[in-house]
Amino acid sequence: MSALTELRAGTTTAPAGTVLRGVLHEQRRTVVLWALALCGVGSMYTAFYPSVGGAKMDVMLEAMPPELITAMGFEAIATAGGYVQSTVYQLLGAILVLVCAIGLGGRLVAGAEEDGVLELEIAAPVSRTTVYLERLAALWLVALVLVAALTAALTALTSVMGMDVAITGLLAGSLGLWLFGGALGTLAFALGAATGRRGYAVGTAAAVATLSYVLAYLGPLVEGAAWMEQLSPYHWYVGGDPLTDGVAWGGYGLLLALAVVAAVAGGLAFRRRDIMV
Amino acid sequence: MTPAIRTSGLVKDYGRVRALHGLDLEVSTGEVFGFLGPNGAGKSTTIRLLLDLLRPTAGTVEVLGEAPAVGGPALRARLGYLPGELALPPRTTAGEYLRHLAALRGGRGTARIGELAERFALDLSRDLRALSKGNKQKVGLVQAFMHAPELLVLDEPTSGLDPLLQHEFRRLAQEAAADGATIFLSSHVLQEVEQVAGRVAIIRAGVVVDVDDVATLRRRAGQRVLLQLDAAVDATALHRMAGVTDVVVDGTTVTCLLHGEPTELLRWAAPHRVVRWQAEDRELEDLFMDFYRTVPADGAAGPADAPTAATAGHGAAKGGVR
Repeated sequence: MSALTELRAGTTTAPAGTVLRGVLHEQRRTVVLWALALCGVGSMYTAFYPSVGGAKMDVMLEAMPPELITAMGFEAIATAGGYVQSTVYQLLGAILVLVCAIGLGGRLVAGAEEDGVLELEIAAPVSRTTVYLERLAALWLVALVLVAALTAALTALTSVMGMDVAITGLLAGSLGLWLFGGALGTLAFALGAATGRRGYAVGTAAAVATLSYVLAYLGPLVEGAAWMEQLSPYHWYVGGDPLTDGVAWGGYGLLLALAVVAAVAGGLAFRRRDIMV
Repeated sequence: MTPAIRTSGLVKDYGRVRALHGLDLEVSTGEVFGFLGPNGAGKSTTIRLLLDLLRPTAGTVEVLGEAPAVGGPALRARLGYLPGELALPPRTTAGEYLRHLAALRGGRGTARIGELAERFALDLSRDLRALSKGNKQKVGLVQAFMHAPELLVLDEPTSGLDPLLQHEFRRLAQEAAADGATIFLSSHVLQEVEQVAGRVAIIRAGVVVDVDDVATLRRRAGQRVLLQLDAAVDATALHRMAGVTDVVVDGTTVTCLLHGEPTELLRWAAPHRVVRWQAEDRELEDLFMDFYRTVPADGAAGPADAPTAATAGHGAAKGGVR
């Protein structure tokens, strides 16, 4: 009796970081696999550079129609930095980070709620705001781990291969990739937290990502449609050629703004709504 | 004294569907209170309103004197909750998950995980995904009880547990109650709550239709009695007998509903030769039928008897388990 009474004395709520630690523990294997996949694909493309890059690339580009070069974002592909940006940062790296971030964003609240596993956490002595913010932090941390692993792999590989890619360029591209993946992942996360519907959240965020890619490539091709790329988060990310020209603060700022707006709106809705209906 | 739970005119809508139609409920501190109703009556909705998972459409809820949305984490620190449909995350062992849930309570309850797991014979090193329904329910019970909360809200606590573990659950609940905890437990089976609960509320279609202590409820539920005699009899005396209703004579077989003591009925039967005697506790469903039967005379041999065959068989099976 006395032991229980003692146990009951004082109220104890969740210390900061408990939700975050739980999510990271739960996602640890997924994160490692995604990081390996991303490093593998990034390294593979970069390793092809000596056999396709430089002068050989110039010959190939001459044979391609200029519209296709624009559409594929190959304008700067002949330089080492341009090559890594076009193949890794603009294409497969971006796709992998996006798929991971949007999928995870949809799972972290809406998916957990649909599976029923969120119920005990919401019923625990932790506020909804804390649950929301720490789960969102987990998303950004996972994206950071992926991008950091990719950056490390590319830095090592380009220096071993003697490719002329500045480390600052890689860092600028990686910061953009983190913000791009984080922003669209946050969109999925926020939509999921606001509605509790994972399919809707992932579908909408994926549609926004696809549309943003289309807008970024149609913009320069269609006359008088430069506004298109201005609306595209993808253009905000790669429009400034970060690997060659460094950080494009305007575009990166817009990515961050998108994330903040989505996060705030989603958080407000999540605090207010019914869970598990 | 502040009641542990008080709801007044509680209404909850899911879109256009109204799940609760003005629910009034009061549970005193230290009480073991049963919350009975068929599936879909609004039990889980009520419980989720207590935990602030849902927000009321109208009316008020108070848990330990505070509205759940106002009390927030500090209020929930004083509660233990077992969901009706417990879902556990994959890729984690039972022990890891329970320690995480204790960490969400600032570490409170960690010390009791081992002891409670032992009582329920729960293997803490097992992966949650590999657990059977009964073992998952054990994880749910351990996390609800481990921090010795002031108020336990248990949604169908014994579902999936075998009789031995149901017994262990009842002991645990009684210990918690003896220690001053209030226990609010829901069920759709009267037997599940009658051994632990003092009072019971019956909810039907989103309203509380009755609140009573268990003994009264049991008396009201009554028993279905079947008497098979060796020759046809005159059963007119039964129609006037106190506590006996719904008398049906079919050749040599007499069936009736008995509320209260069986003495009079036994006296009536004694002069005859009784070939077979059967008395079964009625199911909660039958009790609900009673609440709907406004004019008792009409029901005597009417459609109210239709579900008897099915429930009698069901009741017999239940009786064997007890």
